[in-house]
Amino acid sequence: MNAEPRRRPLIAWLILSVITLAYLALDRYADNRDTYRASSVVTTIAILLALVKARTIFREFMQVRHAPSLLCRLTDLWVFLIGAALLGSYFAGLAVR
Amino acid sequence: MTGETAEPARSGSPLTRIAWHCRNNPKRELWFAWYTTVIFYNIFFIVFFPVTHAQPPPHPYWSDALVANWFGHNRGGLLIGFGIIFTIAGATAPQNALIAYSMRRMSVSRVFPYAYLVMYSLSAIPGLLLLCVVLSVGALRPGRDPAQLHWLYDFGFLSYTGTMGIFLIGSLVWMLAILLDKNRVMPKWFGYLNLCNALTEVVVAPAWIFHAGVFAWNGLISWWVDMVVFGIYTGAFLMQLRNLIRREDFGDGPLPGLVKKPEAMAATLAGTAP
Amino acid sequence: MTEIAQASPEPGAGAQPSGKTAGEPARVVPGQPDMWVLVLFESLLFTAYFAVYLFHRTADSEAFLRSQAQLSAWLGTLDTLLLLASSLFMLWCVQATRAGAFRSAMANAWITGLLGVAFLVSKVTEWIKLVRGGHSFTANEFFQYYFFLTGIHLLHLLIGFVVIGVIIYQLRSPARRSRDLVETYAVYWHTVDLLWVLIFSLLYVVR
Repeated sequence: MNAEPRRRPLIAWLILSVITLAYLALDRYADNRDTYRASSVVTTIAILLALVKARTIFREFMQVRHAPSLLCRLTDLWVFLIGAALLGSYFAGLAVR
Repeated sequence: MTGETAEPARSGSPLTRIAWHCRNNPKRELWFAWYTTVIFYNIFFIVFFPVTHAQPPPHPYWSDALVANWFGHNRGGLLIGFGIIFTIAGATAPQNALIAYSMRRMSVSRVFPYAYLVMYSLSAIPGLLLLCVVLSVGALRPGRDPAQLHWLYDFGFLSYTGTMGIFLIGSLVWMLAILLDKNRVMPKWFGYLNLCNALTEVVVAPAWIFHAGVFAWNGLISWWVDMVVFGIYTGAFLMQLRNLIRREDFGDGPLPGLVKKPEAMAATLAGTAP
Repeated sequence: MTEIAQASPEPGAGAQPSGKTAGEPARVVPGQPDMWVLVLFESLLFTAYFAVYLFHRTADSEAFLRSQAQLSAWLGTLDTLLLLASSLFMLWCVQATRAGAFRSAMANAWITGLLGVAFLVSKVTEWIKLVRGGHSFTANEFFQYYFFLTGIHLLHLLIGFVVIGVIIYQLRSPARRSRDLVETYAVYWHTVDLLWVLIFSLLYVVR
């Protein structure tokens, strides 16, 4: 007697899992003949993918999709803040090295 | 009972009004405890930061000579500052009492406030006094052997930073009381903030292991980030205690919501027997 | 909004985010707003830790990269998939609770917990393997961050087990069932998942 469809969460989970598996491809791409190499490109992509997953978790799993717009905007702001902090600290670190 | 003073004095100098409250306000003991707490934290901050320079903590990796230099440089500040702390250290008692009072007002068992009181009374020793005593001892005699000074230095800062376990458990006790409470004494989000505070006590634990880096006793993670959380937490609990006192109806059931000042005072005077 | 419903929830009676039913679904905060304070605060706190890590990583990237090579991205990916699956079952648990299907809700809660336990076992096994290989908490800077971040996350996971336990305990008895509480605690569990998603990318993949 489920009023809500079980399908949508399943699709959200599938998308999140595919992105997770994409990390493996990114990881493979980042390796260069078994020696690890620093790469801003890989780092940026990794962080952006994580942000996409985070927002999906907020909207689909935590059901912010159905929440009042204040919470929607707040969680979007949070994703932005986290992204800014992560990318900012990484590039700031590179700049001062 | 309060027939001779029907209304709080609204005119008159601040001193007359304060005097009136000291004589007639049924919540004066609670307000006394709250103001003591606020004043204590302000003095604590001034003493620990600009006066003694004990916070932010100096580096764990310093040599004997550098440590001796720090004691010599801060001698006056250490002795005067901690002298002040020793004089007013008893002010931590009203704070603990007020927090325990908040738990007594809740619908939970009395085990919670009593456990909290015991824990926090003891926690003042490593959490405040040991550091003050040890650093004062170090500053007392200028010609002390640098190796001895270094011993005192390590003892003081490690005892202060590394014994957060008591505060961890204390925060969890208050959190649990708040979450189980049916009298709406404190908002649930403040209960969860206690959890955040408790977790930062765990984050400090690596200070026992690292002499340098972000997990040292003055590290970016173990001290600086933790201090931000602690500052937010302290501000929040001072506000919550203030709201509690304003809402207090000396009953047993759920606390009423916040009311505007004059109505609140009239209601309290009308409804409470001294 | 913060009221805890004592009786079993009534489907379709009021503000229910059903999404697909006719008319505009009412917008309600998922769970108690108080829990959202915790979620947002903890996310920012962890972000501060992540920022410190990323900033320091660039100072000595060679050493960090060498240490990172000891980690297995496959294992990290498996851990992420486990937690994502646990979040899925937790969401189904919430949906079942809202629909009044309490046995299904409890089953979903149990599966969530079991997947969490699988994550715990995987993580602890990884730790043991690393420590045995000489890469402990004090080995070098990378592993300081690795053990710290995975450790503090694991602590949140353990709290999550308590939370699931409370959900199951509440769902068991008709007198205690509370949709509000299940939704609230589900939000916490999803936060554990969300934090791991970030940690995984920063420890295992970032170069």
